[in-house]
Amino acid sequence: MEEESQASERTATDLVRYALACHASGKPIRRENLKTHVLGNTPTRNTRPLLDRANTLLTQNFGLKMVALPSHEKILTNKAPPTTAATKWVLQSTLPDAARQRLELAQTEDQQAILGFATTVLSLVFVSNMSVPVDQLVLYVRKLGPPQCIATAADTRDTAEYASDAQMESAAREAIGYLLRQGYLDKVKLGASGGGEHGAETQATQASQLPTDGGDRHDEGMMYTWGPKARTEFQPLDMARFIAAATGQECSDEFIKTIGRAYGSNITASQ
Amino acid sequence: MPMAMDDTEQQMLVQWCMAAQVFTESEFRQVIQRTYNTEEEEIEDIQPVVEQINSSMGAFSLELRSCMDQTTGTRRWALVNTNADAISTGATPYSASELVTLKTLVVGVFTEKMGNYSLSLHDALRIATKRNGTVAGTLTRAETESLIRKFCSDGWLATDSDDGYVVLGDRSIIELQSFFNVGFADYIRLCSLCKEMATLGIVCMECMEAVHPYCANRLMSASAGQLSCPACNKLIPQLNKFGPGERGVPHALESVAGSVRGESVAASVRGESVGVEEPATQSIKKLRIEDSSDEE
Repeated sequence: MEEESQASERTATDLVRYALACHASGKPIRRENLKTHVLGNTPTRNTRPLLDRANTLLTQNFGLKMVALPSHEKILTNKAPPTTAATKWVLQSTLPDAARQRLELAQTEDQQAILGFATTVLSLVFVSNMSVPVDQLVLYVRKLGPPQCIATAADTRDTAEYASDAQMESAAREAIGYLLRQGYLDKVKLGASGGGEHGAETQATQASQLPTDGGDRHDEGMMYTWGPKARTEFQPLDMARFIAAATGQECSDEFIKTIGRAYGSNITASQ
Repeated sequence: MPMAMDDTEQQMLVQWCMAAQVFTESEFRQVIQRTYNTEEEEIEDIQPVVEQINSSMGAFSLELRSCMDQTTGTRRWALVNTNADAISTGATPYSASELVTLKTLVVGVFTEKMGNYSLSLHDALRIATKRNGTVAGTLTRAETESLIRKFCSDGWLATDSDDGYVVLGDRSIIELQSFFNVGFADYIRLCSLCKEMATLGIVCMECMEAVHPYCANRLMSASAGQLSCPACNKLIPQLNKFGPGERGVPHALESVAGSVRGESVAASVRGESVGVEEPATQSIKKLRIEDSSDEE
């Protein structure tokens, strides 16, 4: 029994190590990779206790916890699956806000630029009843100007100031593709998305498997909505506060109600 | 001296170390100060904090380690992985091909023949292009430069101030000590003053001990501008420098290999048999075989 207990503790520790390695690489923790790299032939019934123990170790030693990313099918019903049914996780800090602010956790300029860009794009989707046609979002991003650290094509990166129309279009689509790959955005069929309690469309899964480069032939009837990573990292009330700050307005109750109407659902203080 | 950290304080520090990746001791001290949230007591000795963190991180194969900037003396820290097994390498941000290229570049820099621990940018590009070219098709020069820039951005490699040479980054020096000790011990130089790894500095030709530029300056400040070897006390002329762009001082095993090769040629000219190879020559041949197999 003691040997089993020690073996379980070793496996839970290995789970923690693997989760931290994924976190450092900016990748989600995938269930299939957990089986391959850590769990091996561990019986399925032992997985939940091991995940729970790993989460305890993460929280005690690192102030982190594994949070399940909602699957594409569940996004539109706004319900997160229970942990055991999850197939992907990310790590989130469990530190109180005051502690995190005291730390001023270091971010590179590129990371700050990407976060600012992602937040702005998500706010545009947020106030559009959580769905924006593909071409419309491309137009928004062209006007916004994506951060140069996302552009990988040398011509769009190095000549941004004098970029042609085609280059700007390409840079905008590339930036949106980046947000799709990171999980901030999702591409769904028209009528499938919305805030609050709108119904789900199973085409969401098929849509998410479409090419992420925004090719024209796949765009007809397609919309962008929030992806799983956005649903995990951003809350409606935080988004309302961001929009207030970005537009120089006071985040009053009336303002939050106005934003809620654009979002498609009431925003409460608990969100 | 502040009391031991509570759980939240330790979690805050660990998260900061993970986010910052490589940081100076001064930055670390400031963060510790903010963590304790006190302006009253200046943190001078961070060793108790380091020991407390390492005692709990050890179970997860993590450790706070440091290295000294060899020119300025600034100490840099990183929370590094100490066990490069399938679990930690299973979630690498690099592709399999990129990992092989990175390893080849790191080894190439570390075992550079003239003991300069650097590769010209041209040689580094040639190695990186060849490695990726065998797997994913030929890379353009721009793509290869981008890959090397990525390795530099992540701290594994660095370029000197003129961008003419590729050298080891802080992360390689801090995290790969075991890797170098196991496979390339003959190429390791330690500063005879501070006993830390030296990839640039001055060599005493009497005893072949090395001294960092920073440590050499400290010695000269204490002895009216003269530099004496800390190991054998002989005066060291500052001619025998190694580092990016320097003439270099070959490692001992390279010198042995050179003399054995020279003797072999001389012997063959005289019509004599070559004899048994020295162990050092066998090590070098093994490394060269690995290089030449890439060229085939």
